[in-house]
Amino acid sequence: MNEIKKTYKNYVGGKYVRSESGKTFRIELKNEFYEVPLTSRKDIRDAVVAAKKGHTAWQKLSPYNKTQVLYRLSEMLEGNFETYQQLLQDAGLTKAKAKEDIHKAVDSIIWYAGMADKWEQMTGNLNPVAGDFFNISHQESLGVVFTLNSNTQSLNSLLLNMLPALTVGCSVISFNEENSVLALKLAEDINNSDLPGGALNILSGKFELLIEDISNHVEITAMAIYKEIHNDQKTMIKENASKSLKRIFINPPTMGLEALFPFIETKTVWHPKGR
Amino acid sequence: MNKWEYAESIESSSIVNIEKKYGIFIDGKFQNANSKKFIKTISPSTEEVLSSVSLGNEIDINSAVESAKEGLKIWSKLSGTERAKYLFKLARLIQERSREFAVLETLDGGKPIKESRDFDLPQVAANFFYFAGWADKLDLSWNAKGLKPYGIVGQIIPWNFPLLMLSWKVAPALATGNVVILKPAESTPLTAILFAELCQEVGLPPGVFNLVTGDGSTGAALVKHPDISKIAFTGSTGVGKYIQKETADRDIGLTLELGGKAANIVFNDAAIDQAVEGVVNGIFFNQGHVCCAGSRLVLQEDIHDEFVTKLEKRMQSLRVGNPLDKNTDIGAINSKDQLDKITSLVNEGVEEGGTIFQTDCELPQNGFWFKPTLFTNAQPSYRISREEIFGPVLTTLTFRTPEEAIEISNNTEYGLSAGIWTEKGSKILWTADRLQAGVIWANTFNKFDPSSPFGGYKESGFGREGGRHGLLSYLKVQS
Amino acid sequence: MSLTKEAQNVLNWSDTVELIDNLRVDEVGLKERVASLATRSIKKDSKLQALNYIISMCDLTTLEGEDTEGKIGQMTAKAIRPDPSNDEVPSVAAVCVYPALVSKAKKMTQNSNVKVASVSSYFPSGQAPLESKILDTQFAIDEGADEIDIVINRKAFFEGDYRKMYDEIVALKEVCKSVHLKTILEVGELRTYENIKKASLISLAAGSDFIKTSTGKISNGSSREACYLMAKAVWDYKTVTGFKAGIKVAGGIRDSKDAIRYLVIVNEELGSEWLNPDYFRFGASSLVDDVLKQIKKLKTNAYQSSYYFPRG
Repeated sequence: MNEIKKTYKNYVGGKYVRSESGKTFRIELKNEFYEVPLTSRKDIRDAVVAAKKGHTAWQKLSPYNKTQVLYRLSEMLEGNFETYQQLLQDAGLTKAKAKEDIHKAVDSIIWYAGMADKWEQMTGNLNPVAGDFFNISHQESLGVVFTLNSNTQSLNSLLLNMLPALTVGCSVISFNEENSVLALKLAEDINNSDLPGGALNILSGKFELLIEDISNHVEITAMAIYKEIHNDQKTMIKENASKSLKRIFINPPTMGLEALFPFIETKTVWHPKGR
Repeated sequence: MNKWEYAESIESSSIVNIEKKYGIFIDGKFQNANSKKFIKTISPSTEEVLSSVSLGNEIDINSAVESAKEGLKIWSKLSGTERAKYLFKLARLIQERSREFAVLETLDGGKPIKESRDFDLPQVAANFFYFAGWADKLDLSWNAKGLKPYGIVGQIIPWNFPLLMLSWKVAPALATGNVVILKPAESTPLTAILFAELCQEVGLPPGVFNLVTGDGSTGAALVKHPDISKIAFTGSTGVGKYIQKETADRDIGLTLELGGKAANIVFNDAAIDQAVEGVVNGIFFNQGHVCCAGSRLVLQEDIHDEFVTKLEKRMQSLRVGNPLDKNTDIGAINSKDQLDKITSLVNEGVEEGGTIFQTDCELPQNGFWFKPTLFTNAQPSYRISREEIFGPVLTTLTFRTPEEAIEISNNTEYGLSAGIWTEKGSKILWTADRLQAGVIWANTFNKFDPSSPFGGYKESGFGREGGRHGLLSYLKVQS
Repeated sequence: MSLTKEAQNVLNWSDTVELIDNLRVDEVGLKERVASLATRSIKKDSKLQALNYIISMCDLTTLEGEDTEGKIGQMTAKAIRPDPSNDEVPSVAAVCVYPALVSKAKKMTQNSNVKVASVSSYFPSGQAPLESKILDTQFAIDEGADEIDIVINRKAFFEGDYRKMYDEIVALKEVCKSVHLKTILEVGELRTYENIKKASLISLAAGSDFIKTSTGKISNGSSREACYLMAKAVWDYKTVTGFKAGIKVAGGIRDSKDAIRYLVIVNEELGSEWLNPDYFRFGASSLVDDVLKQIKKLKTNAYQSSYYFPRG
């Protein structure tokens, strides 16, 4: 008998919220239905407001604090191992694959946790300019980043779509479609972690309904598309992005130093050296 | 008029559990040393005996090396992620048992509980957190091919920041895939022993971390052992030179972090009140038992009197006393030996012609204590201006031009650290360029971070600890 | 540096200029020092001593549009006898009110040691001509005020017209004559430490007996950093002129713990000579209740509720 297992809410600004439209859509996992929010353009607008506040709060934490927050998230995920395992199995993975996926997810968080207090040492440097000047290039986070997550039923994949932008200090609006149940479940662990409200926002919906609004929203600084989308969608996104020079990244890498490149802005400072 | 005296606010020591005797830690467990000798470790603030620890001999060092070899077999097969996880867990445990470690550190070494609680322990945890995160991404640390761990590393640490020095050594060594034999200072072995217990608790593979307590002879045995691929030493310049000499006939990695006689330069356009704080912190933090202590105040002559007046007033508010009292700023001198050294140099300073100022404070009857001391009218040729006192004693020298400040500051065989106080940015950078020191603090002092490389020029040592550069102390370039 | 003839503690303008020239304060270093002072652990007898100091240094304050004589009656009674169940608790130093309530406050406190302080000079904004401020101040004094709390002219300060700011305080001090003058800097608006130090020194040079952190009317009130900075200014001023000024902290000090931290700053930076109402005040309302609770807790070893203590 098909019954609704659970109704999930979006996770925005540190709170669980329904879509202001009241609408939901149904996801079926192993013959059970889940109702998840059908995010509207107003929800997107609210998420951006929350993400801006979240960016300010998250960015302020020292790199060491960020490491600790992310490491704690890994501890929490491990604590809820069985819950995720069950969800992944419901989504069609074998027991062995589900376990492997969660182990990989924990290892990914640990990798990124230990990256938060180091990446600047990899990307920044002194510049040997001619003249009596001290010149240094260092990096800052871009701001509010929208990610369209891949639909793979994988906790590791989901986290790898959120962590790069988050680790360098951006706030993230993570948009999910068929994998929303997993994503909104993860929101509970995010909520219990020390991540400031608004730093990571998790939404469910249908991207094609919102593609215009999202790509036109001036306060979304960058979009990272981790899901395979049609070429004309890519074109539309990039055309709309050009109006405010929004940065667009199609299928960026999810691991390695290169995963961080899209989400940082370089600032170079000069200062004379003299008595 | 009523004075407002602070009542005692003693941190209870009931949280620590010290055994009467300790053996060595090898093969992942505590066991009796081969040596039948023990050394007592006392609390320098009361002279009370805290415990007895093994005085490890050559056979014990050899057992430690054998244990390390086994440990290396396991450790080198683990992935970076797995090494990271052990280190993260250690960091977590250190955080959870911070209070216990802090009290133990204060008891064993004499530093104020305020410092061990607010500085030492948070830094220790931070070091483990930071280096844990390098273990799984060493390939990103340097764009250099062929960097590999040394293998078995021997580490000898001092008594001024026992657990912190342990973290500076052990965390990067393990993160980079090495295994460790640690020899803590003779007078402060207890927090290292408690750390060994944590290694057991996280299930660190046996032999990865080994601990052999003892004295100078134990350290010498460690240095001489042929199967050790790298020695990392923090301590006096004298012993550092000895180690360099002893290891001359071998191809061995060596990093030395030695003494200092740092200049704290105060220009006339400094933010004076904050400069006073920085100078005070520079020399009186940890009773001056700091290799990078700002032990020479290099002061621009035209602000001399104003600065010294403020400095003496500020010194007077330093509270010397029971290290377990939360309101104590200056704790005990670490040992009778050290106290004698300080006293002797200070007496010479007076004889040579320096004007001495000491704060008016009551020193406890038992234990080893020294009043915060300031010398003015000192000359660069005096012993107090040239030799490392390693105590709460500051010597003042004056300068007139920026060039002279540089000359005076560099006029030493040491080169560990320096301070620059001026509100003019370009002058900070100009001065920093010209100072021969590995760590330069501008408008601040005694700032440490696991990500910030630390180490000296000249006879203050070589090699760096901390940061991306600090990894190179534990990664060998394969030729 | 010479002192003008009119008042002991006034510095002439050219000496004042010298005093405020090249002010340098490092924000990070200052914050560290203040944070370090906050780690002092004040327990047992020293805590009780501090709590009693705090009560005796409070200026119980009400500065609301809705204040009436009835309200003043309640507050002055509490000021004189903060804890009727405990005679050991001292009276507060003063009550602080608007000029219109001064005569009522004076009447209610005449048989006690509690002083009446009045705000004036177009408190809290100070955005009015000097003539208005003088009238305001004169009125309060005629009504019987023992102390006057004025605000500095921030408009002049931010326009760089330090001379105007200085002249105004000199003029208001002349109106006050021997009436004790506190000058409010409004540190929340001044923001930077250099501004706070500059405003402190100008206010002292112009003849203020006390410098005060805030009006309590904006969301950024007092801070321990501001208090530390003002203590440095007071000390430097004393070094130069020999005059010992006082400090009042107001705006946002709600509990004993925080208040004790302020006392630690004064104790270690200025010395115990400043630990009395002649040289240090707290502008407060709810602080007194928390202190009373803490005093009672020390005596009875039980946490208290505010309904045991009278409304003021």
